[in-house]
Amino acid sequence: MRSGLALLVVVLLAGLMMAGVSQLPPPGAPDSAVHGHVAATYIDGGAEAGGAPNLVTAVLLNYRAFDTYGEVVVIFAALIAVLAVGLAGRPIRSPRQAPTVPVSPVVDQVVRLLAPFIALFALFMILEGHVLPGGGFQGGVVLGTLIILLGLVLSPRRLRHLLPHKAVFWIRSAAVLTFACTALTGLALTGWLFALPEPHWLGESVIVGLELAIGIGSAFAVAGFFLSLEADRHR
Amino acid sequence: MSPNELFDLLILALLIVCALAIARTKDLAAAVILFSVYSFALCLLWVHRGAPDVAMTEAAVGAGVTAVLFFYTLTRTGRREK
Repeated sequence: MRSGLALLVVVLLAGLMMAGVSQLPPPGAPDSAVHGHVAATYIDGGAEAGGAPNLVTAVLLNYRAFDTYGEVVVIFAALIAVLAVGLAGRPIRSPRQAPTVPVSPVVDQVVRLLAPFIALFALFMILEGHVLPGGGFQGGVVLGTLIILLGLVLSPRRLRHLLPHKAVFWIRSAAVLTFACTALTGLALTGWLFALPEPHWLGESVIVGLELAIGIGSAFAVAGFFLSLEADRHR
Repeated sequence: MSPNELFDLLILALLIVCALAIARTKDLAAAVILFSVYSFALCLLWVHRGAPDVAMTEAAVGAGVTAVLFFYTLTRTGRREK
């Protein structure tokens, strides 16, 4: 009875969604509404005014900078919530603690071998994000995954040596702080929040700096979830 | 049907199969791997639809880091759904 009702709801909702989707213009149609108004302006002068040849970056970091700032803050807030939960109460003791299996030598060697290349690719994605597809967030997540991989392979002591506690504390908030600074410098130099300063090269370097900050911030947010769980286990 | 549409349809079919399999499987490790497959198929669809930025996010977040975090969580809980 209940599963029949659930099926009915799902079919109804799916039908509604399909009806909605069928009314959308075909993808890439030049005369559809989304391409008529702002998009045309972005494509015409976005690369020049937005400070980045990759239009997606120009929209994310300039035209829609407020939205991106909100996203950065949300990720930061999630990290703070995880850290707060991790610090509260006693360390977790699972009822049957699984014996720690040593990492297989194959995994160990492959991670050690690939780590510099992954790091290089992540940096490339972050620094070239304003020209090519990719950007601070994507590169940052790759960097964060690399930190998690290293955390699995290296001993906790070695990892703590690589990422000193004091540095991590500030790096975690790098994205939010840099974004706020950009907003304020824009206000001071041009009178608009998030506006890019003239001349063009200065605006472009602000974009690159923002990408770098977002990359490092999201890397440490992603790795922070893992690191706080790990710290909990070794407490 | 053009090859382009056929590619999209194949990917969409794979997405539906993955989603159903994730909902049905009792093995949580298999579910995490299927999540990764789902994200990777979606990533191919984004590339094919001309959205490389979204595709990179999907590959890095959906197929990469969430799978790692899920797996790590599984080592702390259990592999079977109760």
